[in-house]
Amino acid sequence: MSANFSAIIRATVFIVIALVLCGIIFEIAGYPGIQTFDAIIDGAFLRRNALEHALRWALPLFITATGVVISFRAGYFNIGAQGQFYVGAICAAFVAEWLKGYPGAVVVPLCFVAGTAGGALWALWPGLLRLRSGADEVITTLMGNFLAGLLLVYVTAGPLKDPSGSGQQASSRPLEAAYRISTSNGVSPTIIGIAIFVGLAMWFLVNRTAFGVLSGLGGRNPTMVQWQGASVWRIGLASFLISGALAGLAGTIELMGPNGRLAGGFLPAHGFTAVLIALVAGLSITGTAIAAFFFGGLASAALYLPVIAGLPSAAIDIINAAIALFITAKSRFVDRLANIWRRPWTTS
Amino acid sequence: MKEPPDVVLACRNIYVTYGEVVALDDVSINFRGGMIHAVVGQNGAGKTTFARTVAGLVRPATGSLEINGRPIPGGNVNDARSAGVELVHQSFALPPSFTVAEAMQFGADGGRLYTRAALERRWQAHLDALDVKVRAGAQIRSLTVEQQQAVEIARALVTDASLLILDEPTAVLSPEGADKLFERIRRLKERGVTIILILHKIREVLAVSDTVSVLRGGQLIDGPLPAADIDAETLASLIIGPSGRAIAEEDRNSLTGATPPTTDGAATTAVTSAPMLSLTNVTTLSDGDGPPLDSVDLTVHAGEIVGVAGVEGNGQRTLVRAISALADVASGTLEIDGHDMADSSLLSRRALGLRVIPFERNVEGLSLTSPLWENWSVGRLLSKPLHAAIRPDGLRRDCRAAFDDWDVRYSNVEQRAGSLSGGNAQKVILSREMDDAARLIVAAQPTRGLDIGATAFVWDALRDARQRGCGVVFVSSDLDEIFDVADRVVVMFAGRVVAEFCAPFDLATVGSAMTGAQA
Repeated sequence: MSANFSAIIRATVFIVIALVLCGIIFEIAGYPGIQTFDAIIDGAFLRRNALEHALRWALPLFITATGVVISFRAGYFNIGAQGQFYVGAICAAFVAEWLKGYPGAVVVPLCFVAGTAGGALWALWPGLLRLRSGADEVITTLMGNFLAGLLLVYVTAGPLKDPSGSGQQASSRPLEAAYRISTSNGVSPTIIGIAIFVGLAMWFLVNRTAFGVLSGLGGRNPTMVQWQGASVWRIGLASFLISGALAGLAGTIELMGPNGRLAGGFLPAHGFTAVLIALVAGLSITGTAIAAFFFGGLASAALYLPVIAGLPSAAIDIINAAIALFITAKSRFVDRLANIWRRPWTTS
Repeated sequence: MKEPPDVVLACRNIYVTYGEVVALDDVSINFRGGMIHAVVGQNGAGKTTFARTVAGLVRPATGSLEINGRPIPGGNVNDARSAGVELVHQSFALPPSFTVAEAMQFGADGGRLYTRAALERRWQAHLDALDVKVRAGAQIRSLTVEQQQAVEIARALVTDASLLILDEPTAVLSPEGADKLFERIRRLKERGVTIILILHKIREVLAVSDTVSVLRGGQLIDGPLPAADIDAETLASLIIGPSGRAIAEEDRNSLTGATPPTTDGAATTAVTSAPMLSLTNVTTLSDGDGPPLDSVDLTVHAGEIVGVAGVEGNGQRTLVRAISALADVASGTLEIDGHDMADSSLLSRRALGLRVIPFERNVEGLSLTSPLWENWSVGRLLSKPLHAAIRPDGLRRDCRAAFDDWDVRYSNVEQRAGSLSGGNAQKVILSREMDDAARLIVAAQPTRGLDIGATAFVWDALRDARQRGCGVVFVSSDLDEIFDVADRVVVMFAGRVVAEFCAPFDLATVGSAMTGAQA
């Protein structure tokens, strides 16, 4: 409990410091800092339907971020959530296209299976490379993101191209209404249900299974679990696959829910925001739920700012980047603050 | 040759803390020039901290240092160096890919350009003058441990040091090597160098030093006392102190290295039981982690402790890794309890009762940043499928019960393993590895870095395991403890088992086997 508490303090301090820095940047850029924050908070959490809008972004982010938590806990820095998210969406889109005409009750579950499997597949090869030959998964998963982005461009401009599309960006044909799991507002009982199920399942996996404890130990000290006889292969591969599958699942939800079609380069920051959420949450599933809601709010504010408040939506990018900067940089000051709550536990 | 001044090193009220731990507590001591001074004490008594403080590597919180009558500001290596203090570390710091000449040049003034030949000529002369029989052009990694140490000492003397501190120099040496080292030290003394030896074996102290000072719990208990006036028994009591735990006379001697070790008379019953572990002609491939095993035969029966002796780095690590399925057996057979296990995983070997106490407690034994109960449960969790549901509350309860049995001092099973002291951390590992299902226990340097109480605790635990009928492989580079605890001793040299001894053990014979003399 106390350890959780100090993690929350830590994350909050990081975010506050990041926000102060952003305020300074806004002032320098000529936007009054206080007013900008006021507009962001208003856009994210206070205006009418703000919660719904925040959830629309938060739910898929939460699902992807829990996957990131699973792999990071095990010591594998799979930062390829973006690519796995794309490949999941692409696989689901293909299934929806091939089975066009069949009833939704058949097609929708198959799309989910395909999307989840696609995401897992896109995490499989970096996992195998890492476990077989030690290839750094940071590099391979990052490259995988670009490959998946190009694959998406190809698919939307080629096999799945919508011939009637007249926009500048190629996109696939819209899904049939029967295959959609939400309207374009992106919040529906199905999506909320999936997110809750994923959250509970992953909480159980982390806290109540042998895999959860062993992968956490192995992530912190792989040598120790090897001396105990653990198979790095099975734990490592499972971590990669689960993490990819969840990103693929989120991609499927985006396709079949709010978006309704694939567009070249859609939601380009999804996977990275998910990584940020996992880090802010200190790799805990409960923390991920809270952090996902926070970043979901920011994402919805990004759309609101230019329209309503006349501010650039890049303000949100600056905030995300600043938080990322502080959360990854090891700050002695914050560590010491957080340690005040941890101290009673360290006796020798 | 200049006449050494009366007092070479004067320490006054030195007080050193690491966080909340007091490492040196108000230590005041004077060392006279031109003598060999021994500083002794248990692990954790503050010996190394003392050496590091004098050498300027640790800044004392309070107190002052004077070298040759000049006050030295603490915590600065360069100040200490220019005052003539040199420290030879416990673990050597020579770059393995350098030649001897390069390493020595690196320690001297660096910067200037030399041809290789000039460099080697220059340092060969220095080595010859010190009677170090090493080629200046040889690579550091090709040297034996003893030669490396001699080069370290020669390097420390490059700058005309007047005070040379050697931190546990005998820990890496065979008994024979230690004798040679002492010979070298006596010659340095004749040249007017003052020497401080950090030691922990009384036998060695009495053999070489002129004075002895005893540290316990960071405090100077006594000293410097003339070594000629003190006997082993008195010194042992000073080192151990009023211990809360009764320690058997036999153990007491081996703990302090007071007398040449004799054999533990206990359980040398005729072994008739089937072997728990049997290695026949085992050879492993070189994998960059110590020398590979070369045709190793080793048999361990139920109810006996087999000591594996040898100078560190002669394949003991590979042996333990091979038994633990962490090094591949290229040829030969490895049987555990009669089952051929050469190609099977550590998990299936553990299922037969194999338990391993690894060399590096903090790396291989525990995950320091993880909670205690997770560290303790790892073996149990691995015996289940990965997807198996667990009840953390139940595991935490079992963990608390086991810790109570093993007398682990902790405040909460959620606390990080890294917050425990070395002795307690080792007890956590013992409580995990020496469960009821354990039948073959491999203990690799299980007492390294532990204080006397914890060391005796580990020995008793190993004897209890023998009593319960476990086979025990006990790897140690300390012959005193091996002779005390083991029923049978094998000696490893260069990846091979070169000799095997049954009780009674003789220090000289086993010691010479360690140098490969009998190979």
